[in-house]
Amino acid sequence: MTLAFVGGTHRTVPLQVRERLAFSAEQAAEALRRFRDRFPGREAVLLSTCNRVELYAAGEEAATPPPAEQLVSFLAECRGIDAAELAPLLARESDEAVVRHLFSVASGLDSMVLGEPQIVAQVKQAWALAQRTETTGPLTGGMFQAALRTAKRVASETAIGRERLSIPSVAVSDFARGVFETFADKRVLVIGAGKMAHETLRYLREAGATDIVVVNRTADRADRLAARLGGRPGRFADLAAELTAADLVVSTTGAGEPVVTAGLFARAEAGRAGRPLVVLDLAVPRDFEATIAGRPGVWLYTIDDLGAACDANRKRRQRELPAAVGIVDLHHRSTAPVIARLRAGWTETGDAELERLFRRLPGLDAAAQAEIRQAFERYAAKMLHSPLTSLRNESHSGPPHGLLDALKRLFDLKD
Amino acid sequence: MTAFISGISVVCFAASYLVALVCEASRPLFRSGVRGATLLAFAAAGFVAHTLFLGWRAATEPAVPLSSAFDWYLLAAWVLAGGYVWLMLANPRTQVGLFLLPVVLGLIGAAELSSRAPFPQSPATQVWGAVHGSFNLAASVAVAGGAVAGLMWLIQAARLAGKRAPAQGLRLPSLELLAATVSRAAHFAAWTAAAGFFSGLVLNAVNRRRGLLETVPWDDPVVLRMGALVAWLVVAAGLGRALVTRPDGARRAAWLSLVSFVVLTASILWGVLGPTRHGVPPVPTPSASSTTQLQEAAP
Repeated sequence: MTLAFVGGTHRTVPLQVRERLAFSAEQAAEALRRFRDRFPGREAVLLSTCNRVELYAAGEEAATPPPAEQLVSFLAECRGIDAAELAPLLARESDEAVVRHLFSVASGLDSMVLGEPQIVAQVKQAWALAQRTETTGPLTGGMFQAALRTAKRVASETAIGRERLSIPSVAVSDFARGVFETFADKRVLVIGAGKMAHETLRYLREAGATDIVVVNRTADRADRLAARLGGRPGRFADLAAELTAADLVVSTTGAGEPVVTAGLFARAEAGRAGRPLVVLDLAVPRDFEATIAGRPGVWLYTIDDLGAACDANRKRRQRELPAAVGIVDLHHRSTAPVIARLRAGWTETGDAELERLFRRLPGLDAAAQAEIRQAFERYAAKMLHSPLTSLRNESHSGPPHGLLDALKRLFDLKD
Repeated sequence: MTAFISGISVVCFAASYLVALVCEASRPLFRSGVRGATLLAFAAAGFVAHTLFLGWRAATEPAVPLSSAFDWYLLAAWVLAGGYVWLMLANPRTQVGLFLLPVVLGLIGAAELSSRAPFPQSPATQVWGAVHGSFNLAASVAVAGGAVAGLMWLIQAARLAGKRAPAQGLRLPSLELLAATVSRAAHFAAWTAAAGFFSGLVLNAVNRRRGLLETVPWDDPVVLRMGALVAWLVVAAGLGRALVTRPDGARRAAWLSLVSFVVLTASILWGVLGPTRHGVPPVPTPSASSTTQLQEAAP
């Protein structure tokens, strides 16, 4: 075994345990230093996000990675959790299964939200942290770099991470952005204090919106809300005038009847001078009377419209899954650790030569054969020692692509 | 190098644009990591070949550079192709090529159907001829650009009205940007077409006063169709301005831009296929020839 993995995700580890198991950056660095001291010569990378904690370990020759149970105990010890409590919750993998798992993780295929893009940055950070604490080597180096390349290909060749899945992000990026080129010169009117207003405004501010007016039936509430949302309060009595001045409306009241009736909107529309108006009616029941959606220049989206677009996007992501898995499989097959293949090549050649030798010398007894076999193995290990040491040293400062390529060519290691 | 440039033909850059168009059309069908680079490479290669072709013609034709109907259409296509390459570099994810490249290829097709013989021009009227041709070129490009923006506005508006998220590989600019482009293009086209038309009238008046054979009759179809085109473009620009303050003004302006393009296309087809004295080399009669020579020799 050259690669080992233990880890838990949102699927297997309850939130209460994940909270205790999660590592901050400092705690992860400390854990890796402890790993280095306890398991000298082995490589390790610790990936800790809000949805997963995973420890990747690698080693070769005499320094094979620690068994899975030791890794579980190590994680438990680092976070002060009872190993017996943790053991049944964590998954374990070895060798090629580890590579495949990491490729899936980095590509977002193992994420809670399929294809979410943040995981790539988190994998990069985990790798960088391991490099700084000097627990990386040629095995983890090759594996993580290949995982990041796979994630890049999955992102560029499939739409798995592109379609937006939250209602505020779809409302702003897929619809409001289709109408307006910029939000910097647009007036955003927020009606009500619904939960989704805050999240929608976050997206709008990221898109450049600065002119935000908040109106609420209760003036005090409007003041507080405006302060919280970074806008200025408006008077509910001036709603028609505010609608006239607005370019984009986010409406999230809890009213039982439409807040903006066709009559009120007609008064507001008269002064708009043909400017388009985007309305994100996120309230249930709706705040805008349904007939307003048919007015020219009005782009009105209800929570159901946006929900349907989110569902369509989710289906599109699911449709991209086979293509993404195909890329992961392809990379997995082509990047199985070079060292393992190198070692296997030497072992196979040695075994073939030994068999031929033993056939030509039938008088050798079992002890002599064992002695000769050990001599062959020592010889192979010594011959491989220098290139592997060079690889290990080189990989501390980054993935040794040049050396790996050279080894592949020199020893004819097929992908 | 000279042999290489002289070997470039219309087919070279038309084929490059066609490949770029096929790549653009395939965007909604499947994803590819290399399509963007392929598309840009073919579009840029076509534009470079197009530029070299026009440069070679300008340098080697004995008449005034690029003064035939063939050259005129190729120049219009060249300006639009340059705009497309620039848009590709500035915003590679926006799919403008699907709308712009057919216009480019259409203009190249019109060039192939047109005469390569230079417009007859006496040295005395070359400047007016260049002004006339340049303004007409700018107007035609503006009408085509405006129509492309108008068509994209209508498609984007249909998508937003249907409450559908952007389709894979069909990401269009915002309605705001497209409406502004339509409006600017309409005004630019009206002004430049008017300037092209009036400079043409001045050119013809100068030709007539000097008794030159390339004088076009005032009732020649080209004068009438260009007059009608200018009138329409001015009306369309005025209507577009008046519609700005109406809630459905942008939609109507988009439709107007398409109508302008249809009017321009009809005008071009009329010019290519219909009878006219415009741009036709004069056939001197003995009396006319002697009159012309006398006029040219006069101080």
